[in-house]
Amino acid sequence: MMDLTQREWVRHAVTHPVEGFEDMRWKKSGSVKISFFIVFLLFLAQIANGRLFGFQFGVVHDKTFSIIPYLVQSVVIFAAWVVGNWAVCTLLDGEGTMKNICIYSAYSLIPYIAEVFITVLMSHILIQDEIVFIQAVRIIGVGWTVILLFSAIKSVHQYSFGKTVFAIVLTIAAMLIMLFLLVLFMSLVQQVWVFISTIYTELTYRLRV
Amino acid sequence: MNVKKISKLLPLVLSGVLMCGTASAPLTASAGEPYDVYNYDRWGEAIPSQAGYTAERSVSGIDLGIGHMKSPSDIFCDADHNFYITDSDNNRIIVVDSEFTRVIKTYYGFRMPNGTETKLSKPMGIYVSPVNGYMYVADNKNSRVLIADKDGNFVSEITKPDSEIYGSSRTFLPQRVLADKAGNVYVVLNNITTGAAMFSPEGEFTGFYGANRVEPTAEIVRNYIFNLFASEEKKAHKARNVPSGITSFDIDGDFIFTCSESGTQTTDTVKKLNAAGNNIFANLQLEFGDRVPMYDSAQNKLMRTAIVDIDIAEDGNINCLDYTTGRVFQYDEDCNLLFITGTKAKQLGGFEAATAVESCGDSLYVLDSSKNTVTIFKETSFGEIVHTANKLYNEGRYEEALEPWYEVLKRDGNYRRANKGVALALLRKGDYKGAMKYAKLAEAPNIYNKAFEGYRREFLKAHFSQIAAASAAVIALLLILSRKRNKKRASAAASAAKRLEEDDQELKKKEEG
Repeated sequence: MMDLTQREWVRHAVTHPVEGFEDMRWKKSGSVKISFFIVFLLFLAQIANGRLFGFQFGVVHDKTFSIIPYLVQSVVIFAAWVVGNWAVCTLLDGEGTMKNICIYSAYSLIPYIAEVFITVLMSHILIQDEIVFIQAVRIIGVGWTVILLFSAIKSVHQYSFGKTVFAIVLTIAAMLIMLFLLVLFMSLVQQVWVFISTIYTELTYRLRV
Repeated sequence: MNVKKISKLLPLVLSGVLMCGTASAPLTASAGEPYDVYNYDRWGEAIPSQAGYTAERSVSGIDLGIGHMKSPSDIFCDADHNFYITDSDNNRIIVVDSEFTRVIKTYYGFRMPNGTETKLSKPMGIYVSPVNGYMYVADNKNSRVLIADKDGNFVSEITKPDSEIYGSSRTFLPQRVLADKAGNVYVVLNNITTGAAMFSPEGEFTGFYGANRVEPTAEIVRNYIFNLFASEEKKAHKARNVPSGITSFDIDGDFIFTCSESGTQTTDTVKKLNAAGNNIFANLQLEFGDRVPMYDSAQNKLMRTAIVDIDIAEDGNINCLDYTTGRVFQYDEDCNLLFITGTKAKQLGGFEAATAVESCGDSLYVLDSSKNTVTIFKETSFGEIVHTANKLYNEGRYEEALEPWYEVLKRDGNYRRANKGVALALLRKGDYKGAMKYAKLAEAPNIYNKAFEGYRREFLKAHFSQIAAASAAVIALLLILSRKRNKKRASAAASAAKRLEEDDQELKKKEEG
């Protein structure tokens, strides 16, 4: 039973919020390639969300476009989620490997990505008074993704309901700590860089004399 | 051969040099001003623009034949277009004709009813009522507001009120004065932060009017929380949170506009007060003056906007004078920035210590208390078009404003008000596509929304049959596809079942065999 191709597994997992990931785990299925592609789509979705909305729903300042925030909102935050969850759940008797966490989490992002592209399309057809439709699609998409993400974590680690909630809360805390350390590290690197460049400038001045 | 080559190349090189020269020339949109003319875009970034006013000449006391002015502080244009200047340190008021060529009268004092004369002492502000023609003088050093007629006869005076609300320990040093239609007198006082003192037509003190709010900075919030727990004794020893006072004001019909020169405060720098003293601009999140204060490297300080005087023109435009940068910021009645004029400089069109601004007809008059001159700015042709268009626009005659707005755009394609005006006019006309284009240029999503609604309605009306046909075709296609898939699945299931059955039979056969 359930001899599905990798693409069919994506569909199965997304459309069966309760048992989809359990089935996938039972069949040891899921592809890292597809999950990376989904994260790339998430990156595109975040850009579309920030830049391509209909003009009647907000103006964007094109002069200040920078790719970094979108990269952080998609790739960095996803990586932090995967690493954080792995770090937390290995301590909490989770059964998931890093690879599986990555695959399952990525699959559960699909409704959110779809929602973003659909609302961006809708925003070019609707006017401000009809924003409820966009909001409805948004709520459905985000809600679906949250449920899927919960079910993904639950089945990848074989947790109970309560333990999953606990693990997710700890994961978010771990993500915050990681991002904090990242910022700290970056400012440190910057200071070291300033230090080196100052010494270099100083040396060039001395050498000239 | 070589020479020939060079002579061939020479014009090319030369033209290149010339082009470089023109490209690196400073970005001055108009010639003549001793400063770069700019405006702000939607994002609060300064962009080069056309000048709306140009300095025509400056007039000193010597030019008028009455000797040097000394720290003049206020200028007022009355209903007959005569100008009243308070020449503070010379203790006099000068009346000049509308062309600024001739002194009509000079007041050093006024005749009392009993025949004696009462002298002025450092008059700081003047207002001439269009209703009764009286002059209201803020006679600063004499601590009084003097009311007199134009013939120089004393009418009445307002001195420090003997009232508990006013407080006996406070001084009474009038700085600016004005009167409304009913004859109520409003006085801005030195060192008083509770608003303008208000007096009835009979000269009775009726209370304070239009106090500024305290800006909720972090320190204020912290003090507030601290005070919730502090004892009365502790509270008494703490510094009190005092708002900045009103610096100057002007009246326009039923509304009084006030300004505050505090450089550190961002709330209530300009207010529009109704008769009840409520600020109509309070919750509109408006910004006046320079968005980002300029940094002066020579003095090592930020040039924070300090609006020292405000003037409402006859057409409802608001002129705000910034002391720090010597700029006059002109806004229309909805507080859209129109023009920025003036600078801090020695040349004509620049100021050292600009203290008062007044508008009359199509000109601006700025008083400089350090140069002791009045600088007269004339409207440029660009300014004239903008003002006409803006007037039509504010009256709701969008379509008539269309032509002038197009003309404005021809001269300055970045002028945001013009794009907005064109968008609204086209929207009114029913040219939705054009309105969408200009709304996008003006970065006005709400106008775009309306235009898009109209455009969508027209599009649906025009293409209804195609859309209906296309959607019907799509639905039919989907139906056919799903039916085919169902059939496929059914046959696949059937064949699978068959295979299973065959396997079973084979197994049975094997077992039997």
